[in-house]
Amino acid sequence: MSEELEKSFVKQLKENQNIIHKICRLYTNGEDAHNDLFQEITIQLWKAFPKFRGDSKFSTWAYRVALNTAITLYRKSARSVSTITYEGQYHFISPEEYNHEEEEQIKLMYQAVHQLNDIEKALVFLYLEDKDYTEISETLGISEVNARVKMNRIKGKLKKILNP
Amino acid sequence: MEELDLLKKAWKKDNQSFHQISESEIYSMLHKKSSSIVKWILIISILEVLFWTAISVLYNTDDYMKKLHAENLMIYFKALNFVNYAVILVFIFCFYKNYVKISATASTKQLMQDILKTRRTVQYYVWYNLTMIFLSLIAGFIIAFTFNPKMDVVKYKIAHENNYHTLLITLGIIVLTIIVCIGIFWLFYRLLYGILLRKLNANYKELQRIDL
Repeated sequence: MSEELEKSFVKQLKENQNIIHKICRLYTNGEDAHNDLFQEITIQLWKAFPKFRGDSKFSTWAYRVALNTAITLYRKSARSVSTITYEGQYHFISPEEYNHEEEEQIKLMYQAVHQLNDIEKALVFLYLEDKDYTEISETLGISEVNARVKMNRIKGKLKKILNP
Repeated sequence: MEELDLLKKAWKKDNQSFHQISESEIYSMLHKKSSSIVKWILIISILEVLFWTAISVLYNTDDYMKKLHAENLMIYFKALNFVNYAVILVFIFCFYKNYVKISATASTKQLMQDILKTRRTVQYYVWYNLTMIFLSLIAGFIIAFTFNPKMDVVKYKIAHENNYHTLLITLGIIVLTIIVCIGIFWLFYRLLYGILLRKLNANYKELQRIDL
């Protein structure tokens, strides 16, 4: 593949890498696994890049490939390992607005999300990325109504995990 | 849901907590090898085809037939060989067609379906081969029984015995051999693809359940 294509890909991936990092953090349980999945997603994105026409945003196109890689193409499963230490490293709120109570709440919420299965995580991810149900249903290949129903069930499930 | 929206608020702003990967790191990633499930299925499938093709090519029945003076049966085995080659070609064509359809840009469900379909093509090929083994074993026993002079003792015994001991033992050996042969292959495939496809199958079922 041409050098120019490679250059344009690397530039866009670098600018949009946080999307991929967020997916990796959701689907893995440690730094090594995170980097491993990040690399696999990068390879899959690069393989699919010649088909990317630019009629959608790079980020929109990228999260579909990234989610597909995390859910389907990537072989390793993350479920067995404990997640507590990994999340401990993160701060979700920037130092300026830091609020200890809020931060703790978000961390608990995040740990609850981590306990969901792969498909539920994908729905939550798209929800957190502010995608509408049309887009969620198209990305996952399910009907819009059922995507909505499932999302409500996930919210209930999260509530149960948080308040057992 | 208050908490999830709280997370959403933080989620959008959260862009500092990741170690940023540089352009040169991305460049080096592009030239690394993928370890995706599709790649593994491709590798295993190629090995499978090579294995089964080698078996059907190397397994030469001609000498055995000549030894038993059953040359008149050879024509059937030759015809069977041609059928075998035709099946291999059709299989490779179908496999290739399904394989190139797999795309990471499809919807999650479509992608899973395409992978499972590709995998199923290989499975049909394996079933075909197992059936052929089964039939060959039976044919082999019948031929050995009819043409092999060593079997005359057994035949004589079966014909002149009042109870059916020898007949039952012979049949028992035949059935047991077939079960063991096919069982070993079946177990091997279950193990191989069970490990490889466990995650995919679970996620596919979950997706299907949403649309029930």
